[in-house]
Amino acid sequence: MKNSHSDILIKFDKVSKKYGSFHALRDVSFEVRAGEIVGFLGPNGAGKTTAMRVISGFFPPSSGRVFIRGIDMAKHPQKAKKALGYLPETVSLYPDMKVLEYLRFVARLKGVPAHELGDHVRDKMSFCGLLEVGHRLIGRLSKGYRQRVGFAQALMADPSVLVLDEPTTGLDPTQIREIRELVRALGQSRAVILSTHILPEVSMLCNRVMMINQGQILASGTVKELGSCLKDREAIHLRLKDRKDHDLALKLLRAMPEVECLNTEEEIKGETCISFETSPEEDLRPRITKLFVEQGISLVEIQRKQMSLEDIFLGLLKNGKLGRRFS
Amino acid sequence: MRKVLAIARKEFGSCFHSWLGVLMAALFLMVSGIFFVILVLNYVKISMNPQQFGLSNFSGINQTQFIFGSFFTNISIILLFLVPILTMRSFTEEKRGETLELMFTYPLSDFEIVAGKQLGIVWFFEVLLLPLLGYVAVYRWIGGEVDWGPVLLGFLGFWLLANAYLAVGVFISSLTRSPMVSALGTFSLLLVFWIFDWVDDISSGIWARLFSELSPLAHYRNFTIGILDVQDLVYFGFFFFYFLFLTLRSIETRNWKS
Repeated sequence: MKNSHSDILIKFDKVSKKYGSFHALRDVSFEVRAGEIVGFLGPNGAGKTTAMRVISGFFPPSSGRVFIRGIDMAKHPQKAKKALGYLPETVSLYPDMKVLEYLRFVARLKGVPAHELGDHVRDKMSFCGLLEVGHRLIGRLSKGYRQRVGFAQALMADPSVLVLDEPTTGLDPTQIREIRELVRALGQSRAVILSTHILPEVSMLCNRVMMINQGQILASGTVKELGSCLKDREAIHLRLKDRKDHDLALKLLRAMPEVECLNTEEEIKGETCISFETSPEEDLRPRITKLFVEQGISLVEIQRKQMSLEDIFLGLLKNGKLGRRFS
Repeated sequence: MRKVLAIARKEFGSCFHSWLGVLMAALFLMVSGIFFVILVLNYVKISMNPQQFGLSNFSGINQTQFIFGSFFTNISIILLFLVPILTMRSFTEEKRGETLELMFTYPLSDFEIVAGKQLGIVWFFEVLLLPLLGYVAVYRWIGGEVDWGPVLLGFLGFWLLANAYLAVGVFISSLTRSPMVSALGTFSLLLVFWIFDWVDDISSGIWARLFSELSPLAHYRNFTIGILDVQDLVYFGFFFFYFLFLTLRSIETRNWKS
């Protein structure tokens, strides 16, 4: 890229989106540069799809501004959309069109010049592995192939910004691997935003993660940053035989300064689970065991676990705030 | 313009992808053919023995007007059923398949989308119109004298009427996701416009005049009897673009829900 300004391909400036009284996005701001693959992570209804639809210009935000390659989406929507490829969540396309016919149609809509049309379409088809199905009806294709057609349509006219809404949902493991390889190849020179609720996918593909819930960005950082945050956190799981001891155990744990994010889950057959987070510097297990035995609590299991991305994510969702980890 | 044509071509092609389009074309040709044959046979019957039918009932009768004038009047009724079915999938299909969502992310203006869709469906209708020229050929072949003016004017009028109706249909289809609702809605609205034409027969006065002037059929009638009036051209042009404008607005509403 020529200069630092053109480096920023996507820019969200305090974007909010309301559906009636429902806030789908609240004051979201972020930037994505060329060569970045950014993963949007969040539960269903967190605002991922809304954010992607706002980026792709499907509808404008209620407030705030979106820039694609420095072009204001609200002022020059057509110019901004030229740099954009969008893969929707459900790739339904036109079932009664042939693959080749459909892709040529998309290329025309995206303004690929007539004399380049044939080569351009063939190029994208071979990239997505579609050459052998060019003359089949889209409606007769398997889900994996349809997803590839979706990819090919997003890639038409070589956009520098790719927005992929849950690109691997509903595919079998082989297809998922293929799609991931596609995304990785694409992300080298472009800005890619993909949304997912599959956590391992994020650590595999993305060099930056944004956790979204209730229309807000809870955490944002590179996978490395998140990983280093994870290293100094760990979880301890306790299992109690007798439910009567539950309250006493909680009281004791709360009294310990090292214990954070205390959780209890009811389990079957009256056994109660308690889990909490702590730093790994000191192993708390001997202290807790001793304390519990002294108090006569029926401790049947104590386990120390390295915290995964999942635990952090779930913790974030429950507390709805960052805590000190990402601030 | 290239994008409009691309959408129109896709739209036109999709009419042939399903059996619906082909079936509608066949049905249209069959019904219009029956009308034509009946009219020709009627004319033959009358001209064989004019006294029996009392020529006074047919003042100013001529071949072209009797056959083609009545023909165009009759087939305008087919449009009432044909147009809702032709247009019912226009936008509803794209909304259901969420392909419209994708279209909005392409560098296209809303006008290009609407114009392309409208144009594609008009093209398909024009294909239906072409075989009607065959009736003129048959008419000549059986010895009729074609008075080209009124016949071509009939075609022009029929084309204008159909364009107006199709614009209504595309507009209604942009309002809903269900093809059924779209077809019924279009049919009802066309029926209302059709009924406007009767108001003049039932009552008189300023309101009756207003309603009959609003009716597409009243303006279409001039074309069937070989009268070209600028008023009618303006009326149909206005009608068409007004509904095109409404469709555009209805597509833009996605931006309002904020």
